[in-house]
Amino acid sequence: MLNDLLHLVTTHTNDIVVALEEHILLSLAAILIAAVIAVPLAISLMNHRRAGEVVLQIAGVIQTIPSLAVLGVLIPFVGIGTIPAIIALVLYAIMPIFQNTYAGLTEIDDNLLEAAEAFGFSRRFKLFKIQLPLAMPMILSGLRIAMVMIIGTATLAALIGGGGLGSFIMIGIQTNDNAQLLLGAILSALLALVFSWLIKLIGRLSLKKMGILVAVFFVLLGGYFGGKAFMQPKGQITVAGKLGGEPEILINMYKDLIEADNPRLDVQLKPDFGGTTFIYKAVKSGDVDIYPEFTGTVLQNLIKGKTVSHQPKKAYQDAKEALDKQANLAYLPPMRYQNTYALAVRQSDAKKYNLKTTSDLAKMSPQLTAGFDHDFYELKDSYPGIKKAYQLQFKDVKSMSSSLRYKALANGQIDVTDAYTTDPQLKADKLVTLVDDKNYFPPFQGAPLVRKDILTKYPSVKKSLLRLKDKVTNQDMIDMNYQVTVEHKSADKVARQYLEKHDLLK
Amino acid sequence: MIVFENVIKTYQNKQVVNKINLTIASGEFFVLVGPSGSGKTTILKMINRLAQQTSGKILIDNQDVAQVNTTSLRQNIGYVLQNIALFPNLTISQNAGLLLEANGVKRSERQQLVQELLDKVGLPYEQYGSRMPSELSGGEQQRVGIVRALVTKPEIILMDEPFSALDPLSRKQLQDLILSLYQEFKPTIVFVTHDMQEALRLGTKIGVLVNGDLQQVDEPQVIINHPANQIVSSLFNNQKITLIDDLIRTGLKETITENISFDVPHLTSTQTIQELATALYDYDYVIVDQHYIINQRQLLMYISKH
Repeated sequence: MLNDLLHLVTTHTNDIVVALEEHILLSLAAILIAAVIAVPLAISLMNHRRAGEVVLQIAGVIQTIPSLAVLGVLIPFVGIGTIPAIIALVLYAIMPIFQNTYAGLTEIDDNLLEAAEAFGFSRRFKLFKIQLPLAMPMILSGLRIAMVMIIGTATLAALIGGGGLGSFIMIGIQTNDNAQLLLGAILSALLALVFSWLIKLIGRLSLKKMGILVAVFFVLLGGYFGGKAFMQPKGQITVAGKLGGEPEILINMYKDLIEADNPRLDVQLKPDFGGTTFIYKAVKSGDVDIYPEFTGTVLQNLIKGKTVSHQPKKAYQDAKEALDKQANLAYLPPMRYQNTYALAVRQSDAKKYNLKTTSDLAKMSPQLTAGFDHDFYELKDSYPGIKKAYQLQFKDVKSMSSSLRYKALANGQIDVTDAYTTDPQLKADKLVTLVDDKNYFPPFQGAPLVRKDILTKYPSVKKSLLRLKDKVTNQDMIDMNYQVTVEHKSADKVARQYLEKHDLLK
Repeated sequence: MIVFENVIKTYQNKQVVNKINLTIASGEFFVLVGPSGSGKTTILKMINRLAQQTSGKILIDNQDVAQVNTTSLRQNIGYVLQNIALFPNLTISQNAGLLLEANGVKRSERQQLVQELLDKVGLPYEQYGSRMPSELSGGEQQRVGIVRALVTKPEIILMDEPFSALDPLSRKQLQDLILSLYQEFKPTIVFVTHDMQEALRLGTKIGVLVNGDLQQVDEPQVIINHPANQIVSSLFNNQKITLIDDLIRTGLKETITENISFDVPHLTSTQTIQELATALYDYDYVIVDQHYIINQRQLLMYISKH
């Protein structure tokens, strides 16, 4: 585990630095904005107790809304990426900062306030010389609570393309890669500690210096985000991919192909850009121009009122027509490989019993023990369905956690399990998937989903993307996934290697 | 000069101050004395408008305080609180100079004024200036409280039971301190206490307040010797004490003629004969009000006559 982690750190140093930078900027921007809202709010309400209590209640209610729901609600208004992430984080951070500042200001000893009153201090003098300094320990602890919370919650930004350390965690969860998961978690924890400590240090400064510091941060952050927005050149295409290694390989191929055909086009990549719903919304809103999507996913999740055909060609046609009609998006022809469910066995068994298809397996099934992921074991369209379709009659069937099932198969504890057809783990554990010869599972073929305006504006893009039509076999995809997620090679190198090997670049 | 004209204060339908008419002359050390709940703090706080009278007028140098804005009114009136209320986030010298800072006095000037006064009240600036209030004893803290009120050289200083939370020794020391500061700066002091002895010791004039009524306003000697009514006399019943002032008035003293430095106790004429006797137990003579010399023989002569 430790070795995996070290390997990950050495091979992905750049990614880590970028993610850290994103995470820090996101968190800093959020805490500064939250503080600039919450502290003055508490100051203005400290003499209006009833209003103060009301705001406290409202802030508390906002806090109880799950962060994912907040993000979902925000996307139609502010789009996808950094801005909704910051807004959501700010909403969360307001409560602890406001609560502590308000408590700090309202719990000051009445005698001290009477003294300040009796000395005829102006409101300003009283505030900056007496009240704020006396409330400062409370304010700072509020900021620290908010900071720790923000850094933790900011990991969710990865889901909506906000980037940050959450990318590692999400990929870790999705690909069952504990090293990535740990890396993301450890770095966020460290970051929380460092920031908590920094806030403590800042607390020792005078109010004036604190003010200057906040102003400087604001200018720097404003400059950074403003500059970033300004620097985006015209005539740029944004290609995004969902979380994970496979989409990242694909979008790197897209980039290489598009730029090779039209050197004047600049392709901006956004890897690990959240989950299906977010990325689909981003394409519809124009934040993203192209992303690779599976035919099965289009029919199951994105399109209303379509049953999924189990004929790959029909499935693609259905998906294409529906996208065209319902969302005015173009869906170019798919690649060859299928990333769908399948049953897997050991390579040695496949050879020994000459197993190629699931029907072959059915004949052997009385002699074999199967172990399936809990969901696969129970869901109607998974094991119960395929059992009926192929007349499978295993000697024994176990339900086990998905992380254990490959190892159990490799170690011989079970003989059959469920798998994704391009899972690099298959290669790592020397397993093979069996062909779904009765097309029981819906087809999941990767194909580029493109905004139509891009195709009219840059006709070369279509030509470039069509080069991948019917290319990339399951084995190719497994090999590439293996290189990226297990060997931790960078996705752009793996993608380029494939394109060069198959002469797809001119 | 502070003038109360028919001042009434009712609080929750109860009259806590009953139609007070009172004139406090400039330069007076006026002590308002009475049992707790008699309304004396309320009267004090009406001067700088921390409390608002229900009816009547309060004038400072013929100016109705209700017409002056509270900020400028309060900035010209020193205030010393019973619970001291030094600001715990500020050092001793910051606390002491806070009112100067609020008035926009420059740092160097502030520091000079603060240093001068801290040295004067027995808290050397070098040693105490950068400490925090919590590091000081109650008595030391209240010295800072006094410096804080004095530092802007206000013409009026209001003191609300400033020494009642202190131990007897510190109380005595601070009484001495406030007397000597009073002698030096001659402000008008309005001092509230429930301690009759303290009132007699400090006041050049004493107002006796019971249940919101001003019973008598007179010099300490008059209050003791000629109480206006039964209430006053019962209050001061156990306080049959005589002040050195009385001895001086009978002519039993010598005036200092030469400028000699005397290594003997310095007393004030408002201290009691008992205190004089204590001092003369160890010394042949003492100096009073930096002007008179009184020796043991003169004390004995005074006692034998009274």
